[in-house]
Amino acid sequence: MPTVPILMPQLGESIAEATVIRLGVSPGDAVRTDQEIIEVETNKAVMGVTTLCDGIVSEIKAIEGVSYSVGSLLGLLEVTEEEVARTGVDTLESLEQQKAASNRSTPQAEENLHFAVDGDSYEENPSIIPSVKGLPVPTGVMGAHYISPRMRARMDDMGLREADISAIVGTGIGGRVTVEDLERFLDYLEAWPSTAASPMRMAVADAMRRSWTRPLATVGLPILLDRVLDHRRQQDPKPGLTLYLLRAFALALTEQPMTAGYLIGEKVVHPRAFDIGVAVQVEDGVVVPTVRKVDQKSLKELISEYDDLVDRARRRRLTEEDSKGGIATVTNFGTFGLTTGTPIPLPNETLILGIGAGKKTPVWSEQVETFIPATQAELLLTFDHRVVDGGGAGVLLKRVAELMQHPENL
Amino acid sequence: MSVTYIDAIREAQETLLRDDPRVFLYGQDIASFGGAFKATKGLADAFPGRVFDSPISEDAMIGLAVGAAIEGMRPIIEMQFADFSSIAFNQIVNQAATHYYRTGMPIPITVRLPSGGTPGSGPFHSQSMEGIYAQYPGLVVVTPATVSDAYHMLIESVKLDDPVIFCEHKFLYRWLKSKSINEEALPIGKARIARPGKHASVITYSAMVHEAVRAADRLQADGWEIEVVDLRSVKPIDLDTVLASVARTGRMLAVGEAFPWGGVCAEIVAKVCEEGFHLLDAPPQRLNARDTPVPYHPKLWAAHRPTPESICDALRKLLSF
Repeated sequence: MPTVPILMPQLGESIAEATVIRLGVSPGDAVRTDQEIIEVETNKAVMGVTTLCDGIVSEIKAIEGVSYSVGSLLGLLEVTEEEVARTGVDTLESLEQQKAASNRSTPQAEENLHFAVDGDSYEENPSIIPSVKGLPVPTGVMGAHYISPRMRARMDDMGLREADISAIVGTGIGGRVTVEDLERFLDYLEAWPSTAASPMRMAVADAMRRSWTRPLATVGLPILLDRVLDHRRQQDPKPGLTLYLLRAFALALTEQPMTAGYLIGEKVVHPRAFDIGVAVQVEDGVVVPTVRKVDQKSLKELISEYDDLVDRARRRRLTEEDSKGGIATVTNFGTFGLTTGTPIPLPNETLILGIGAGKKTPVWSEQVETFIPATQAELLLTFDHRVVDGGGAGVLLKRVAELMQHPENL
Repeated sequence: MSVTYIDAIREAQETLLRDDPRVFLYGQDIASFGGAFKATKGLADAFPGRVFDSPISEDAMIGLAVGAAIEGMRPIIEMQFADFSSIAFNQIVNQAATHYYRTGMPIPITVRLPSGGTPGSGPFHSQSMEGIYAQYPGLVVVTPATVSDAYHMLIESVKLDDPVIFCEHKFLYRWLKSKSINEEALPIGKARIARPGKHASVITYSAMVHEAVRAADRLQADGWEIEVVDLRSVKPIDLDTVLASVARTGRMLAVGEAFPWGGVCAEIVAKVCEEGFHLLDAPPQRLNARDTPVPYHPKLWAAHRPTPESICDALRKLLSF
């Protein structure tokens, strides 16, 4: 009986190889035409390798978990002569004949050559010509997408970072910013008034610049603050609104800690403790002291620790240790009268939860079937989209909103 | 009355014969015939007993020179063509180059290599061997590009205690003229700014200096100011001057007439990358002859070696980066 090879098919335009993730058949199995027998995965999708004709699997060469290039031999089918005739598939024998024929067609007449060309060569792997060549870099990107060593040295000299030169229009190849472009830009800036940036400004700039290298997304939800505000009125000492949020955030995170995971290479690093930072506006910058083990302390217990940290933050008396080890941050920009925003997480964190200013809004009540005045604020969560998706962020945000409706439990 | 490049070489040898009794000349047909290129014309008559014809054996020529140097002489050996020095390769790189390191006794020989291509010279009479000799420790390799350098560097070569490979370019022999020979010259090991500029540096040597200057002149019409550095000696390489030039321009093209694989241009690129990476605003480039033997037909030859056109093209590419 003729043998028909099972080959790794061309799975898409730019796909040169695929990983076998599941073998659906074993030797001896009968298969039908177009039956999906091997599951393979590319970086784009999971796909099936199907049979070209009816037959019996005689051998499986592919191994699960191994990547094969397009055209690789994955297995063999025993197929009847009638089936070969019906489907017109290439058998191993016919492929051999084709190969031999193509070899014969190459001229071998030049026997007088010092070095004869051996037409009977053996090709171990079928050669793959990927349809997409070169590095997967978008072409025609304008701006400072390539920093030459000289440019880097000059920028280091000036204390410049890539973000600082993003405004320069490049004249180099593909719009590359050359050193001359940089010098012209610096000359142009000379005419403008300027001041030296404070160390605090530089620290914030550095953190934000580093954080901005990631795909950050923000989702939001309005929440009602009335219950929290009522609860707060009855407390002595009074916890700040941010502290309620801090506590609710920590409790919500304990239920899905992966959301605060941090992506390093191919690893997601999980939180060790629910230590959460609080953004505190200080002169010419923001500092983020960390409140420790927020999940394990009651709101009441947290008040003094929180107040102390914020107080020291405002007086710029935080130690390095005070700002270390947070897994996420809470920021209350409502204190500036802002209702909405897109906060940016610290570069070493995946999440930041923000809250806007509360304002009296008519809110429909199902219970009394009328609009009642309520204090509503926007709750916003910015996340590293590499780690978390809109769904996960939504679940987390809704859970925080829920917890904020039961301040007595915080 | 002007002086050609080959006149300068002849005059230098005359000066050396006159001033230093240890100097003698040895080579094929250099005595009564005056050498294949007439670089020794009349010297055999002027200095009887000090200009000798050798057998047609480059191996024997250098072997004799090494022996004479050991005995205190300062021989100048004329290879008829640089290409044939490969026959003397063992004597040069294994004997002459290593002798001082093995015995403490220097070998002050000067090997004159009529180098480089001329139209219609073909594969055996066109080669540039400087890169090969520069590879070997113990040898000094010089590549004069001007009439004055041809004169002064030959005199300095003979005065040096190390064996010197003196690569004189055949194309420059009669093509290159000067009103006179300068009184003074830079020492061997010092490069020269042949043409100042600020947008890109061409690092080159020998005949290619002139091609590079012509290319730079053409680009000036487009507003580009190209600096041309004449290395003068390829071993030692004056890296300070090269780096200073790259520091001025940020862009570098090494141009050489030798084959592209490895060699002087590759060495320049490597050294600039090693020590001047922070100076580069564009990947350093090099332009050499093609990676085939030197062709015979003048048109093929012109397409084989770097020309002002191909240097201009390479520079435009470099400048547009």
